[in-house]
Amino acid sequence: MFISIDAEKCMGHGRCYSVAPDLLSDDDEGFVAERGRCWQVPDEQLDLAYEAADACPESAIALLETAPADA
Amino acid sequence: MSVDSTETFRGLPVSHTDFTSYTEIYEHYRRLDADREAARFQFNDTTERGFFMLQRYDDVQRGFQQHATWTTAVRSALNPGIGEPLLPQDLNGSAHQKLRKILNQFFSPVAIRRMEPQARARCIELIEELRPAGRCDFVQEFAIRFPTDLFLSILGLPTSDGEKFVVWSEEFFAAMLSGDMSTATVAKKNIMDYFTEAVNERRAHPGDPDVDMVSRLVQADIDGEALSHDDILTILLTLMLAGLDTTRSALGYIFTHLAQHPEDRQRLIDEPEMVPKAMEEFLRLYPLVFQAGREVQEDGEFDGLQLAKGDVVWIGIAQANRDPRKYDDPDTFDMDRHGASTHLAFGGGPHRCLGMHLARMGIKVVLEEWHPRIPDYRISDGVELTERGGQLTLPTLPLEWEA
Ligand code: HEM
Ligand code: SF4
Repeated sequence: MFISIDAEKCMGHGRCYSVAPDLLSDDDEGFVAERGRCWQVPDEQLDLAYEAADACPESAIALLETAPADA
Repeated sequence: MSVDSTETFRGLPVSHTDFTSYTEIYEHYRRLDADREAARFQFNDTTERGFFMLQRYDDVQRGFQQHATWTTAVRSALNPGIGEPLLPQDLNGSAHQKLRKILNQFFSPVAIRRMEPQARARCIELIEELRPAGRCDFVQEFAIRFPTDLFLSILGLPTSDGEKFVVWSEEFFAAMLSGDMSTATVAKKNIMDYFTEAVNERRAHPGDPDVDMVSRLVQADIDGEALSHDDILTILLTLMLAGLDTTRSALGYIFTHLAQHPEDRQRLIDEPEMVPKAMEEFLRLYPLVFQAGREVQEDGEFDGLQLAKGDVVWIGIAQANRDPRKYDDPDTFDMDRHGASTHLAFGGGPHRCLGMHLARMGIKVVLEEWHPRIPDYRISDGVELTERGGQLTLPTLPLEWEA
């Protein structure tokens, strides 16, 4: 499973890294540091990835079965 | 006072619901829920310009993302007049982004965590002052004092000024709401003189711009230009207007709930690690900024809703937070609710609340420090609670406990 964080949509609500600090981190403005990135989530972090996606008020985090063509 | 299904405006049902009066507590949520369920989009004609209402979660979330064509030239659908100039609110596009970049750093979770120990100590002091009396007006004696001190400390100003500052800001709010412009002017002058002195002092003796916000504002530049003195004062006044009444209001609704639901209170005492989750659910269930306004800058369509340049849009925050399409049993408090933090109580898009992490820290600290000291409290007998419309707040919340 791939996690993808939309840099345009992310507005720095900080819910994702609060619920999943082992997967995501914050920058000094409060945005998720990994915004704009897409990477494969190891199986043991899948639950965290779902938690993070479910916590975001901007729907900025997507979980994808396959890597997007442009990643 | 409701949606009239026979009357239409540009093909939409017309709502006559008033959202600006004083009512019994929670009445606004009933009106907001009823309007949302009456029609997906509707036009409300209770203000001079009227407004087009987005009310479902998905529409509200996407409404906040229309920032390219819908701007804060109107900030509140209920009050589309210009009002006080506010920064960063009044900016849009890249000018807004550049100012937010300077401010965000002071309001980020990292920055707020640095403030927490001091905030906690102050919170304990205020609670200990009230405890021996066995009663207080929670709203007027506590819920406004603590956010005022937080506000001063984020600016790098002494919290010992809180006592006089709270008097001015209260006078200013009250006078603005009642339209008493002469009192408002005097109160505003006191506040502006105080800010001016602080700014001048930091120009003469700069503090560390990484932790002292006034020093940073004085030194900051945007595209090679310093912020003007007036803009700095506007930013400070905006933070005061945006941060004090809101946090007080949130605390008022939360403590009303906890006074009336001893089982939820007990759970927070037994499982303090639940405080952050409970807080998100409180913010979802009791949003106080229940709408944001925007003005449409060019003709266009929003998923079938036709809008023209100059139209006022209502982005229905509270209606999204209580939308049954998004949340099961939405009008019920559920501390274990999955995904409560997707609520839009702090707005969304580029104008999302600058102070959200400060407000969260403040509320969390109060919930954690109040209950070990005053675990058992109730609303005084015979009190009928009311709420102010426009932007919700409780004028008073008398609480009692065994001292
Ligand atoms: C529970 C407390 C609070 C709530 C519910 C709240 C809610 C909101 C909402 C809904 C918005 C978005 C308005 C819009 O999109 O037009 C907003 C914006 C804002 N809030 Fe808060 N707020 C709270 C506390 C604070 C605090 C403590 C501060 C600062 C000290 C603050 C400062 C601001 C500022 C400066 C903006 C404008 C941001 C911009 O336009 O870029 N707020 N707030
Ligand atoms: S919760 Fe969403 S908006 Fe907030 S930082 Fe995470 S991705 Fe960005």
